Amino acid sequence: MSGKQSSRIRTLLLVLTLSLSGVTLAAEIPPLTHKLTALNPPINAPSLRLKNMDDEIVDIKDLKGKVVVVNFWATWCPPCRREMGSLERLHLATKDKNVVILAVNIGEDVDTVFSFMGQVDPSPSFPILFDLEAHSMKLWKVHGLPTTYVINPEGKIVYRAIGGREFDHPDIQKTVIDLGN
Amino acid sequence: MKNIITALVLGLFSLSCYANTSQSYTIDSVTGVETWKIYSQGVNFSLTQILPEQAQAFYVNRGFTLKQIKPYSSSCVYMAVLRNDNAPGTIHFESNKWSVFVNGQSRLLTSVDNWVQQLTTSTTKKSALIAFRWAQFPPEQEYEPGGDWNQGMLSIGLAPGSQFDIVARWDIDGKPYNVKLRGVRCVR
Repeated sequence: MSGKQSSRIRTLLLVLTLSLSGVTLAAEIPPLTHKLTALNPPINAPSLRLKNMDDEIVDIKDLKGKVVVVNFWATWCPPCRREMGSLERLHLATKDKNVVILAVNIGEDVDTVFSFMGQVDPSPSFPILFDLEAHSMKLWKVHGLPTTYVINPEGKIVYRAIGGREFDHPDIQKTVIDLGN
Repeated sequence: MKNIITALVLGLFSLSCYANTSQSYTIDSVTGVETWKIYSQGVNFSLTQILPEQAQAFYVNRGFTLKQIKPYSSSCVYMAVLRNDNAPGTIHFESNKWSVFVNGQSRLLTSVDNWVQQLTTSTTKKSALIAFRWAQFPPEQEYEPGGDWNQGMLSIGLAPGSQFDIVARWDIDGKPYNVKLRGVRCVR
């Protein structure tokens, strides 16, 4: 086998692996931080009314009185994949403390998302919403994935995070829990 | 003696100019993929090569045909990362203001909107276009200090094997900043 053939086969194997995983590149991955940016003054959360995996409508209006963490993501977005397990750990630590996590998937179908969920450890048990047309991105002023907002019980956005985070970090857990108290 | 003092002053001045800027280069031992990275003024900026086959596989998996995505996948595509670690404030950028220098000539990047227009045909799946749009490095964004960042694909629009410098620009409260990555190569 020539060097060129060997290189091509290596590339094809790499492509196959990447296609199956949905990951673009593993090289040079920046570390995730745990800082949330406070919005001063807080702003009213836009509307969000989307179907979940069970085809039921979830409306953020109905969650007034709770702290809501809204995460915009996609399965093909490497930092979104990296932070998903930490979002579930945040959910497990806060679900009994007046906190709801909503993960809004952009442009993908239920089957794609369902198969990804099985790869996340721990697998997400919080609601996944589907924005097939990516309409919410403009409304929520999302310019890149992932982007996460924290909404207080009065329905105002009080924190924002652009890019992947360690959501199970004690600092973030405390910030989110304190909002609900 | 006067010459020595002058040389020392010049030396110290040069060091101070570069004290907050350092460019590094790495090559992945398995894939051969190259990364150019620079840290300047509290901001990290890096470009990692994406092989044309990688870009094709990614977008074919999202619903494009090979023929539809080939003009993009062969346009010298990188995984770009920009991150505000500890800049003196909120950084704001528009990537259509960034410049690429090839053989002394400056050019702007092809905008994401322009690529979306080029890729939109009667047979392109809408879900594929949505994935394309949001997999790109953001055309405009604001990052707070402390780790706001994005990772996305960036097309340079050059032929395979081309070598270039790229200037990334941002502003903090209207004050302009920039950083130059030198000697970046497109995959052959």
